[in-house]
Amino acid sequence: MKPKVAFFDFTGCEGCQLDALNLDGEEVVDLLNAVDIVNFREVMTERSDNYDIAFIEGSISRESEIPRLQKIREQAKIVVALGACACIGGINCLKNHVPMEEALRIVYGENAKYYDTIPARPADAVVKVDYYVRGCPPVTAELVKVIKALLLGKSPDIPNYPVCVECKMAGNVCVFERGMTCLGPVTRAGCSAICVSSGQRCWGCRGLVDEPNIDSQKDILEKYGLTVEQVVEKFKLFNTYSEVGK
Amino acid sequence: MLENSVLIVDDELIVRESIRDWLEDAGYQVATAESGEEALEMIEQQDFSVMVLDIRLPGQTGIMVLEEVKAQRPWIKSIIITAYPSEQTISEAKKLGAIDYLIKPIAPDDMEKLIRETLDSVGQEPTVTTEVAVQPQPPTVEEVAVKKSFVITKGNLKSIVENLIKETELVGVKSRHGKYVYNKITSFEELRLDYDVTIAPPTKYFLPAKETLLKFKLGNESNISPVAETTPRVIIGMHPYDIKAVELLDEVFIDTNPDPNYIARRHNTTIIGVDCLNPSPNSFAPSMGTHLTKSGFDLLLTDIGTGYIVTVGSEKGAKLLTQHAQVREPTGDEIAKQQKLRDKALTKYKLSLDIPKERLPKLLQDSYDDPYWESRSENCLSCGSCVMVCPTCFCFDVKDEVSLNLVDGERSRQWDGCMLTDFAKVATGENFRHDKTSRFRHRIFRKGKYILEKYGKVGCVGCGRCATACLAEIASPLEAFNAIADSTRIKEAAIRIVKEAKVETELYTPRPAELIKVDELTPKEKVFEFRFKDGKELGQRPGQFVEVSIMGTGEAPISVSSSPTRGKTFQLAVRNVGDVTNALHNLSEGATVGIRGPFGNGFPLEALKGNDILLIAGGIGLFPLRSLIQYILDRRSAFGKVTLLFGARSPAERLFPDEIDTWNRNPEIEFHETVDRGDESWQGHVGVITTLIPKVNMDPKKTMAVVVGPPIMYRFVINELKKRELPDDNIIMSLERRMKCGVGKCGHCQINNVYVCQEGPVFSLAQLRNLREAV
Repeated sequence: MKPKVAFFDFTGCEGCQLDALNLDGEEVVDLLNAVDIVNFREVMTERSDNYDIAFIEGSISRESEIPRLQKIREQAKIVVALGACACIGGINCLKNHVPMEEALRIVYGENAKYYDTIPARPADAVVKVDYYVRGCPPVTAELVKVIKALLLGKSPDIPNYPVCVECKMAGNVCVFERGMTCLGPVTRAGCSAICVSSGQRCWGCRGLVDEPNIDSQKDILEKYGLTVEQVVEKFKLFNTYSEVGK
Repeated sequence: MLENSVLIVDDELIVRESIRDWLEDAGYQVATAESGEEALEMIEQQDFSVMVLDIRLPGQTGIMVLEEVKAQRPWIKSIIITAYPSEQTISEAKKLGAIDYLIKPIAPDDMEKLIRETLDSVGQEPTVTTEVAVQPQPPTVEEVAVKKSFVITKGNLKSIVENLIKETELVGVKSRHGKYVYNKITSFEELRLDYDVTIAPPTKYFLPAKETLLKFKLGNESNISPVAETTPRVIIGMHPYDIKAVELLDEVFIDTNPDPNYIARRHNTTIIGVDCLNPSPNSFAPSMGTHLTKSGFDLLLTDIGTGYIVTVGSEKGAKLLTQHAQVREPTGDEIAKQQKLRDKALTKYKLSLDIPKERLPKLLQDSYDDPYWESRSENCLSCGSCVMVCPTCFCFDVKDEVSLNLVDGERSRQWDGCMLTDFAKVATGENFRHDKTSRFRHRIFRKGKYILEKYGKVGCVGCGRCATACLAEIASPLEAFNAIADSTRIKEAAIRIVKEAKVETELYTPRPAELIKVDELTPKEKVFEFRFKDGKELGQRPGQFVEVSIMGTGEAPISVSSSPTRGKTFQLAVRNVGDVTNALHNLSEGATVGIRGPFGNGFPLEALKGNDILLIAGGIGLFPLRSLIQYILDRRSAFGKVTLLFGARSPAERLFPDEIDTWNRNPEIEFHETVDRGDESWQGHVGVITTLIPKVNMDPKKTMAVVVGPPIMYRFVINELKKRELPDDNIIMSLERRMKCGVGKCGHCQINNVYVCQEGPVFSLAQLRNLREAV
């Protein structure tokens, strides 16, 4: 029996699901040989409520999303959070810094009364999540890695060390040495330091490592010329929901 | 430099002359100076190995002389003599590199002994000399031979580089964002030989960030093939400190348990070094003796402006040189120029070690509990940057990956580092180096002590890359060494640990073994019986372990539960705690797994024989201990009285209940058993395992206790045994660690300086008393 896989989107841009399709042809064939995809609105119209592995995309930002996610949890044997919004709350949580009424007014103006909203949160603030495929967007190879691990019955090997490790492996010049600032030292690796390798900096989209030294990271950002407010802003973008961004 | 040259600086004639006479009698070359000024002039002209310096001199004081010497000639070892010792002057002198001091009046023997020890402690590393033998040579070349130097023009070098680009993979230093990196060279113009330091070291060409060790197909465990990269490659522009780092890696990966992947790369790589004439501001290579090198390269270039002096280091280098360039012998002026440039480069280093590097092991040993480790590591990000850019770091992790077709798989290793949070974490969840302080200290100890003691080469080459990479600015070993030296009294050098070595050519390739029998012990624990498919025996000693491979899932260390006296098969009893053990638990009889080993030392059978034996097993500690129990039962007459104590958490968690029954009934051994918590069915003793020890009659002089259990158990059992006055040498323990590679390389299982997979997992309490991270 091939495991049945379903994808569900909550509050988000659905870019994670699109990115999941970024497999090359042979991989798609191998994947479809290994699993049955029963729900995936980006690519198919059929729907099914019978599935083993549920991928959750997006954060939870409306009251109605809570029972929907709980129902998925009851049905699925394994729940995997897909992407930054589902894993750590992501950028949707930026609205949590203002009162909800104000957030509605800013976004919907006079139509605000037709909508409801709650502070945005990651999937695991609502239900138990078994595995995480992190990032904005996630690395397709990591999604495949998690699927393979589930098929082989082993735990997916997702690093618990910071982006610096992969940045050094890639031989990059440190972002700080290039006169910019970076969240790499506290952000969980697994992305092969893709942003820094392409000349950018790390924004922290994969969330923090298990034991981040936030105090030291803040000291370093300040040493490189950021004010306390700017330092907090840095963390807010993706990590508002975790303690550091609040 | 004269190997045993001593300069005596003292304003009193009688002191100068008497010391000179003693030392000349003892065979030293001695010169004297009556003032600081005169001493510095003499040092300008001639190099010395040791300077004996009066601290109170008229004019330039001893301290001023030391300052000058430290800046200009840091390798000269200074010994202070003074009639007026004060804490302050002595500590100041030591900060400036003085090795020790003697109080006047001085006994000739003391002086001679101290100088001898000081000279003995000077390593084999070559130092710079200012004595240049200028002998004009005719500009013709008879033969390009190893160890000789030649001259090529800048145009010659260009054509060598251009030829190499065409013929092979040429790697060298390029500029990137104003920094330097090693990369493939595609044109002569992009090659930089005047760089200060690269971000990452060239050691990645010998140990890449990630490399495949094995390829396999799932479901066919016999189809495992080792993989090694064999691309021929020339690396041009390696600085001496990086060449020295490769020499250390050679010790680790070639000398013991030869590593096929490393060796393949090493053999296919040609190293063209270049003298570092513009050192990085964070470098302290001269203090580590790595600013110059006389070995480790095939060719070595020195840019003398008008061309390059090329030193030939190997036959391979000689061949490359004759193939690609017209060479001539250097003139005396050119050799002098080379020397002058090297001397000038030396003055550019701003950082230096306050003590000779040979003293680092002892210094560190004495400062294990220094508050420095905790205070300095507070800002550590655990980001691993320091270890990732280190040319002498070589620890790795090993992982299995399977492609989406769920057939083709690879086992690969990738860089790992002891500064990362989970480095010493085992499957059962314990993290043996869980706090920043112990990780920070471990790294510095590796750099200054453990590696030196194990491989005879210092574990830090002073390149300064870690200091550059560390955002928290805490990574420089130099800073740690100097800070610790500052707060510690330095004594004699440490003793090198000598150990046995064994050789395996297919180091990482598991041998297929068939699972012939599975028995469930408890819902979480099973015992598996294996037989090698080639019919060979495992040949284990009781207490050794094997690495078990489930291809596609990974590899895990498992202790052998059966004695070699029980035939051609071997048994592994396994608790289901991680991916590999879980996969193992899902196997049925007839399945094939991969086995490497046996590894480790095993229980000390020779020391046990003839003695009374007290065996103490807590929980799954019985798994490794069972191999010894069986061995003892099969060789019963070789041992005295044998007592076995076993403790389980509950009656349901008792292991090998049938065997326990036979042990209980066996008149040849005394057996006691307990459970932490009883239930209705349980009639026996209740209480933790230590409550059984008072029941045992023992003669502490002829009893050997062998203890195996969870980490928490050891402390309490040891206390109880010490109450019974058992000597430390008679208490034997087997420790659990993350033994990832089994061959003393990956670093995960290290307890302080000891690789548990090689020198353990069995230790006596006496040995563990010196291993602070152990229990």
